[in-house]
Amino acid sequence: MNTNELYQFSTLTVLLLLFAFYGGTYLLTLKIRKKKEGTDAFMVSNHRVGFGIGSASMTATWIWAASFYAAATSGYTYGVSGPLHYGFWGALMILFIYPFGRRFRKLAPNAHTLGELIHARHGSSSQLILAFSNVLGSIISLMVNFTAAGALVSVLSPLSFQVGVIIAGLGVLGYTLWSGFRASVLTDFAQLVALMAIAIVIIPAVLFAMGGPSELVAGLDNLTAEQANLFSMEAILNQGAPFFVAVLAYAIGNQTISQRLFAVNEEHIKPTFITATVGYGAIVIGLGMIGLMALTLGVEPLNGDMNNLIPQMVSSYLPPVFIALFFILVIGSLSSTADSDLSALSAIMMADVYGKNLAKGKADPARMLLIGRLTMIVATVAGIVFASFSLDILVMLVFVGALWGAIVFPVIASCFWSRVTNSAFTTSVIVAMLLFCVARFELITMTGAAGLIFELLASLGGGVIIGLMAFGFLGRTVGAVAGTLAFIAMLILATGFLRDYTVLLASLTAYGASTLVCTVMSLLSKERFDFDTIKEKVGDYDHPQDQTATTESVIPGGVASQQ
Amino acid sequence: MQTLIFGSYVLIWPVLTLGVLALICRAVLRDMRVARAEKRDLV
Repeated sequence: MNTNELYQFSTLTVLLLLFAFYGGTYLLTLKIRKKKEGTDAFMVSNHRVGFGIGSASMTATWIWAASFYAAATSGYTYGVSGPLHYGFWGALMILFIYPFGRRFRKLAPNAHTLGELIHARHGSSSQLILAFSNVLGSIISLMVNFTAAGALVSVLSPLSFQVGVIIAGLGVLGYTLWSGFRASVLTDFAQLVALMAIAIVIIPAVLFAMGGPSELVAGLDNLTAEQANLFSMEAILNQGAPFFVAVLAYAIGNQTISQRLFAVNEEHIKPTFITATVGYGAIVIGLGMIGLMALTLGVEPLNGDMNNLIPQMVSSYLPPVFIALFFILVIGSLSSTADSDLSALSAIMMADVYGKNLAKGKADPARMLLIGRLTMIVATVAGIVFASFSLDILVMLVFVGALWGAIVFPVIASCFWSRVTNSAFTTSVIVAMLLFCVARFELITMTGAAGLIFELLASLGGGVIIGLMAFGFLGRTVGAVAGTLAFIAMLILATGFLRDYTVLLASLTAYGASTLVCTVMSLLSKERFDFDTIKEKVGDYDHPQDQTATTESVIPGGVASQQ
Repeated sequence: MQTLIFGSYVLIWPVLTLGVLALICRAVLRDMRVARAEKRDLV
């Protein structure tokens, strides 16, 4: 079955839906509004977010508008295993960060950003590399979410793309501006309840409206052998593997995640992140199944645009009230991520840029809050402008993804290994980025010795990813064994083969190169860092006297030479 | 049998979502009770 057009709401209906959503969310934030906000509360809700609110917020933040569209596209493209290869790896990004998050929290219990921890560990250059990658990621995320709002409004109503972008931008800014992270986590809960309730209803509704499971089975004949295979290699190599590579990178490089790691009650970090993992996976994989349903029915995406798949299926089989629910689902998901990005950006500018670099330990809380709120306004305007211009963000995305991959090992090693130095961190990231560009843009031909060297680095990168994942959960010995085995397996399987998969080769090269350079430079170093000094250096900006008193009692410089 | 397997494969996700939603709602109610008892804000 095919439809030639999507259901159209009237202008008034769409405006009422948007007004109800953003108006209701704004009213909710009035309940927690304080005349005078503290900087700690504004950035991390005083580190005391409970398990329920924390897991709701983490789930809602990680689900953005693109999650549904991409999962459905994956189901439509790769068939039975497609939704799993999108949702499962995305969910693991939340799961695999929490063991490291507990370490971050132990080292710097009062931190607001991962950058503050790295600043205390290494100094400004490493911290600013991390902060820069966080800022780029959040700006891209804002732009993508506002773009999704514009696209949704324009395909389901007579309103223009720009109107949708502007309403979403101002709506999100309106309810986040005053209370910052507190508003973000509270509204995340309400948005997630709506989002989950709608997903619970829409997935079975579409399935049974199209004829039920028997119709789905009857349509399996429309699938190719690869699409019908749950263990499709095509799906694994093109969808699963690049996502798997990104599991740790996205988690380390994203301030929205670290902000929640520092905000949730310390003893609740594990249950919070496990619940968010299951919640994210269930919603995203479930909605991805609509793409699989479309494939079995032989539905062609309207205008060839895969993003039309879910609205098309909902339009074709369900009454208009479900389309309104779908509209709220997408607006809720994009808003919950956008408000988290605004909170993340404000925390980076407040703590990493102003607190650690401009104020140099003499931060004025009132000025800090002003900087945080101004950052939100500037970021919203930038997001709206970039979205309105429909900029091609592919190159930006490529660089941010590589930067995140390049910083994974240096960041994690810096938190566990006392020998890692600031120059090892910085140099390894720069070298990894250069080698990534060579591989990704094929600046040299990947044949002969060059191909072999890059495959060697990429194999090392594969070993590092597996090793770090195992290390996070099972400790140093298992991590080292798993990493070594993965490295050997990659050498055997990838040599002469990986060079044909440019994206994968380049991403793995970033991991491998940064690990190699960081490790060699650290081994050559005679410095030993005393990790106990970090918690003394990263403190509460609302009570600077306490912080000064504790800072004076620690070893100057923080590096305790043991040799 | 195939119908049952495919039906379950699609419907297991909304069921899981429902389970997580119930868990989160219960936990938030507990968070609210604890915050009230400690006389502090929920967030």
